[in-house]
Amino acid sequence: MLNGWPSRDPHNFRQFRPSDPSNPSKMAATTYCPTHSRTLPPPGQVISTKTVNILLRKMYQSEEKPTAKRGPPANVVQEQGCKQPRPTSDSDSAAETAYM
Amino acid sequence: MSVWNYVVTAHKPTNVTHSCVGNLTSPHELNLIIAKCTRIEIHLLTPQGLQPMLDVPIYGRISTLELFRPHGEAQDFLFIATERYKFCVLQWDAETSELVTRAMGDVSDRIGRPTDNGQIGIIDPDCRLIGLHLYDGLFKVIPFDNKGQLKEAFNIRLEELQVLDIKFLYGCSKPTIVVLYQDNRDARHVKTYEVVLKDKDFAEGPWSQNNVDNGADLLIPVPPPLCGVLIIGEETIVYCSANAFKAIPIRPSITKAYGRVDADGSRYLLGDHAGLLHLLVITHEKEKVTGLKIELLGETSIASTISYLDNAFVFIGSSYGDSQLIKLNLQPDSKGSYVEVLERYVNLGPIVDFCVVDLERQGQGQVVTCSGAYKDGSLRIVRNGIGINEQASVELQGIKGMWSLRSSVDDPYDTFLVVSFISETRILAMNLEDELEETEIEGFCSQVQTLFCHDAVHNQLVQVTSSSVRLVSALTRELRNEWFAPSGYAINVATANATQVLLATGGGNLVYLEIGDGVLKEVKHAQLEYEISCLDINPIGDNPLYSHLAAVGMWTDISIRIFSLPDLNLVTKQNLGGEIIPRSVLLCAFEGIYYLLCALGDGHLLNFLLNMSTDRPTVIYSSNKKLLYSNVNLKEVSHMCQFNSAAFPDSLAIAKEGELTIGTIDDIQKLHIRSIPLGEQARRICHQEQSRTFAVCCLKYSQSNAEETEMHYIRLLDDQTFEFMSTYPLDTFEYGCSILSCSFSDDSNVYYCVGTAYVLADENEPTKGRILVFLVEDGKLQLIAEKETKGAVYSLNAFNGKLLAAINQKIQLYKWMLRDETSRELQSECGHHGHILALYVQTRGDFIVVGDLMKSISLLIYKHEEGAIEERARDYNANWMSAVEILDDDTYLGAENNFNLFTVRKNSEGATDEERGRLEAVGEYHLGEFVNRFRHGSLVMRLPDSDVGQIPTIIFGTVNGVIGVIASLPHDQYVFLEKLQSNLRKVIKGVGGLSHDQWRSFNNEKKMVDARNFLDGDLIESFLDLTRGKMDEISRTMGVTVEELCKRVEELTRLH
Repeated sequence: MLNGWPSRDPHNFRQFRPSDPSNPSKMAATTYCPTHSRTLPPPGQVISTKTVNILLRKMYQSEEKPTAKRGPPANVVQEQGCKQPRPTSDSDSAAETAYM
Repeated sequence: MSVWNYVVTAHKPTNVTHSCVGNLTSPHELNLIIAKCTRIEIHLLTPQGLQPMLDVPIYGRISTLELFRPHGEAQDFLFIATERYKFCVLQWDAETSELVTRAMGDVSDRIGRPTDNGQIGIIDPDCRLIGLHLYDGLFKVIPFDNKGQLKEAFNIRLEELQVLDIKFLYGCSKPTIVVLYQDNRDARHVKTYEVVLKDKDFAEGPWSQNNVDNGADLLIPVPPPLCGVLIIGEETIVYCSANAFKAIPIRPSITKAYGRVDADGSRYLLGDHAGLLHLLVITHEKEKVTGLKIELLGETSIASTISYLDNAFVFIGSSYGDSQLIKLNLQPDSKGSYVEVLERYVNLGPIVDFCVVDLERQGQGQVVTCSGAYKDGSLRIVRNGIGINEQASVELQGIKGMWSLRSSVDDPYDTFLVVSFISETRILAMNLEDELEETEIEGFCSQVQTLFCHDAVHNQLVQVTSSSVRLVSALTRELRNEWFAPSGYAINVATANATQVLLATGGGNLVYLEIGDGVLKEVKHAQLEYEISCLDINPIGDNPLYSHLAAVGMWTDISIRIFSLPDLNLVTKQNLGGEIIPRSVLLCAFEGIYYLLCALGDGHLLNFLLNMSTDRPTVIYSSNKKLLYSNVNLKEVSHMCQFNSAAFPDSLAIAKEGELTIGTIDDIQKLHIRSIPLGEQARRICHQEQSRTFAVCCLKYSQSNAEETEMHYIRLLDDQTFEFMSTYPLDTFEYGCSILSCSFSDDSNVYYCVGTAYVLADENEPTKGRILVFLVEDGKLQLIAEKETKGAVYSLNAFNGKLLAAINQKIQLYKWMLRDETSRELQSECGHHGHILALYVQTRGDFIVVGDLMKSISLLIYKHEEGAIEERARDYNANWMSAVEILDDDTYLGAENNFNLFTVRKNSEGATDEERGRLEAVGEYHLGEFVNRFRHGSLVMRLPDSDVGQIPTIIFGTVNGVIGVIASLPHDQYVFLEKLQSNLRKVIKGVGGLSHDQWRSFNNEKKMVDARNFLDGDLIESFLDLTRGKMDEISRTMGVTVEELCKRVEELTRLH
C-alpha cells in the first residue's frame, strides 16, 4: 500500500537537506512586477457571457427544430410538483427541460 | 486630518488556499504552484528541494487555481478565477520569464444569487470546456475550440440549488459533470450530466446515486482506467461509477483536502479537520474496482490543500497553521507515523486578534498575534529588524573583547579570532574541517588582557596590551618589534588601523605611533587635561590604510574631540552635556558622508555629521543619505566584531552571556517571526505592562469518543518567556469574547477585565455573559469581582476611569465602586441602546465609536453631568463591520466583511442637526483582506529626526495572515503619491490583464465605486522594482527626477 511512491524525475529531492523543522523555512521568491504588453490577451480572447436569457435561448432553439427534444412530458409534470417526491426513486435524475 | 491614507502590506498573505503541480515553466520542469489568496507562488522541484521562482500578485482573491494542458501544447497553462468573477489563462514564456495572458474575461451575471458554498471552477480533463458554478441554479460553460482558443461563455440552468461540489468525470466521450447536492429535506445525492455544447444544455448523465453520506462534501474524480468518482463523506467513503459501487466506513472526520498520488488514481492522500493524513487506496483488477482501503499515515498541519510532489514528498498547504513539506516513509517511526515533516512555511493566518507592545522598551513596536486555529493555534511575535542567523556557537565565559585577524594582507578571509579575557588572551582559528580551534600566535602576549588587535601592513599583526604595543609577523607569527608604555603608566584604551596606532595611558596621555616594516615608531605625544575614555582612527578618507583624523572621548568634561593626524592638533571639540561618559566612538562613512558615532554609557547613541550604545545591539545603516537604525534579534551582547572566514563568510562574532556565537546578518528591515505553539486557539490577547504578562482568551477542542467538546480558558503568560503562568477555566458553554488591561478611578491596581458569553445551542444570540475582573498576584490570576450581563460582552474599553462594555445591542458603562471596606464591584452607570450587535468599540476622550454587526459606524458621546451616553452621529450605510479604529478626533476607520476599508468623518460644522448627525463616508478602498483588528502603533523604530516619524500609523491583521500598515499622510504628499500611483498603473500591468482600478474599487452587494482617499502602497512601492528605463518613463510624465522619486518611495518603505 505504501510501496512504490510515484516518481516523475528520480533526481527531485535527492539532495534535499531538511532544515530544522522548528526553524521555519525562509522561502523568498522575487516579486513579479510585469511591465510587458502581453498581459493583455490576443484578439478574440477577452471572453464574456452570451447575454441571451436561458429561457429565450431555449425558445429560439425549439423554434429552429420544432420536432426535436420535447422531453418526456410525464416527467415534466412530475418534476414541477416537487423536485424529489421519493428520494429512493430512480426517476428523479431525468428531465433537464423541467424549467421550460 | 487623517483622511488621506496609504495602505501597505508589511507581511504578505501566508494562508495557502490552493496548490497544484505540473509543467508550467517548461515541458521538463515540474512546478508547484501555490495560491495565497491574492498571490500565487511558482516553485520549481529540484534535487535540492523546492526552489522558489516567483511571487505573483493577483488583482483579485483567487477562487480557482488549476493547471491544464490544451491539445497540442507541450506545457501546462494556469487557469485562475477570482471571487469578483474575473478569470484568466496564463502561460509561462520561458524566454522572457514572463507570464503571458492567453485569455481573460468577466464571468459575472447581472442577475443571480451568489453561491453559499463557495465558487467552483473546473476544467474538463479532455480540455473541451471550463465549467464554473458561481450562482445558484446556473452552470457556466466556457468552451474551447479545436485550436485550444476559448469561445464565448454561456449559462446552463442547473436544477440543483444547494450544490456542494461539481467535478468533471474522466474518460467520457462527451464532457460530463458529476454534481453532489443537497435537497430541501437535507438529504444528499450525486447526479451526472452530459454537457451538450451544440444545444448549450445538459443531457442526462450515465448514472446517479441517491442518498449518499449526510456529511458528504467532496467529490474526487478518478482518472482512466477507472473513470468513476469517490464521494467523501464524514462516516463513509464511496467509489461510484456507472457499473461499480464500493463503500467503506471511516472514523468520523471531515475531509478538508485531497491530493492524488498515482497518475491512474489508485491512491489518494486525504487530510481531515484534525490534521490527520490518510491514504485511500482503490484496489482494482484492471478496470474493475474490487474495494477501498484506508490507512492512517500520521499528523500534519490542518490541510487546506495537498499536492503530491515527487519521490514521496508532499506539500501540505494550510489555512490554520504553518504549511509543510513532508515525506512519506515506508516504515513508521517510533510513534507509528509514516509522515516526516521536513520543512515548515510560516503562516500567520488567521490573525484573530493581536496587540502591539514594546517589550524591549526601544521605541519599536512588536506585534503579538493570535494566529492559527484548532490544534494549530499559536501566538506569533512579529518584529521588524535585522536578524542574526546563528551559524555556530561555543560556551565561553568572561569575554572582554574580540577582534578578527587575517593571516596575510591579500587573504580575502579572516583567519584568527582573538578573544580577550580579564587575565589572558586566546586565539581561535578556523581549521581545515571548518571548525574553530584554539591556536597560538607566538609573538602575542597571551597571559594578559588584550586591549586592541588589528592587521597591519607588510603582513603584520598588532596587539596592544596594558603595558606595550607588539608588532608580529603574520607569516612567522614571531614578534618583530615592541613599544613599551612609559613606566608607571598603563595603557587604558587603544585603537589601530593598518598603518597607525593611537593609545591613551593614565593621566590623559595620548600617544600616536606609525607602523613600518618591522618598525613601530612613536610619532607624537599629546597631554590632555582629562582621562580618555575611548578612541578611534578608522580611516574614512580616500586612503583605506591611513586616517587623517582621530576621535577621542573624554571623561570629566564629557566631550568628544577630533584631532588631526599625525600632528595631534585639536580640530574640534563637542561637549555632550549631561553626566554620561562616551563609551565608544567610531568614525565611519556611509554613502560618501562622514559620521562620528558615539555610544554613551547609558545606551544612547549619538551621531554627528563630520563636516567639519549600548548592550542591546543596533545596526546602523544609511539609506538616501540618512542614518537609520534597526534592532537586532539578540539581547545582552557584550562584544562584537566582524569575522569573515571561508566557512562563515560575512559573519559576525558575538559575545553574549557566557557564549561566543558566529552568525550572519540577514536582510535589513525584514519581519522576524517567533512562534509560540499553543495546541489550542487563542482568540483575544492583551498585554499588561505592570505585571509584564499577556492574558489570552483561548479555546481548546477535545475529542472524547464521538463527542467533540470545547472549553474556554483565560491564560496568563510571561511576556518574556511566553510560558503559561496561570489559567482560569471559564464555565461550560462560556466563551471569552473580549479582554482588557485597565485601571479604575481611585484604585491604583491594574486589572485584567474579561468579557464572556454563554453560547447555548437553542439561543440565536447569547442572553447571558459575565465581566470578570482579575488581578495578577504572585504570577496568578486572582478573580476580584464578577458582574453578570444580559448578553455577550463583545468589547471592553477603559473609559474615564470606568469600564465601557458592548453587550449585544447595548453600550454599557460601569463604575468601579467600593462594595464594603475591602472589596469592590462593578456598578452599572448608564448605557445606550440602538445597535443590532455592538461588536467593536473604540474610545477617545468622551467619544465612543461603535462598529455594528450590520449598521456600519456610529459615534456616541458620554455626558458627564447627565451621566448619560447619547448618539451624536452615524453612518447610514449598511456595512457589516469587522473592525473599527479612531484615526483622529473627526475621522474613523472601518473594515467590513466584503474585504473593504472605509473612512467616515464627523461633520461638526454642519448647518442642520441632520447634517451633524451624519457620518460622511470620505474614503473607500477594496483591501481584498478580511481585517479582524486595527491597532495604533508602528513596527519600525520611529526616530524623532526622520520624516516618517511624524506620520501616524495603524497596524491591521487579517484572516490570510497579512499584517498591514495604514499611514495617514499630509495632503501634499498624498496628492503627489496619487499622481505617482496613476502613472504606475499605466506601467505596471495587472497579471492576467486584471485591472488595478477595478481591484481596488470599493465593492459590496449594494454598490461598487472607485477607490478614493486611499492609496495602494504595494503598487507605489513596486516603483523601486522597475527597470531604470521604466523609472525614467514615469519620471518624465511626473516631471520629477528618478532620484527624487526613489527617495520619496523609499521613505515610505520605512513605514513598515
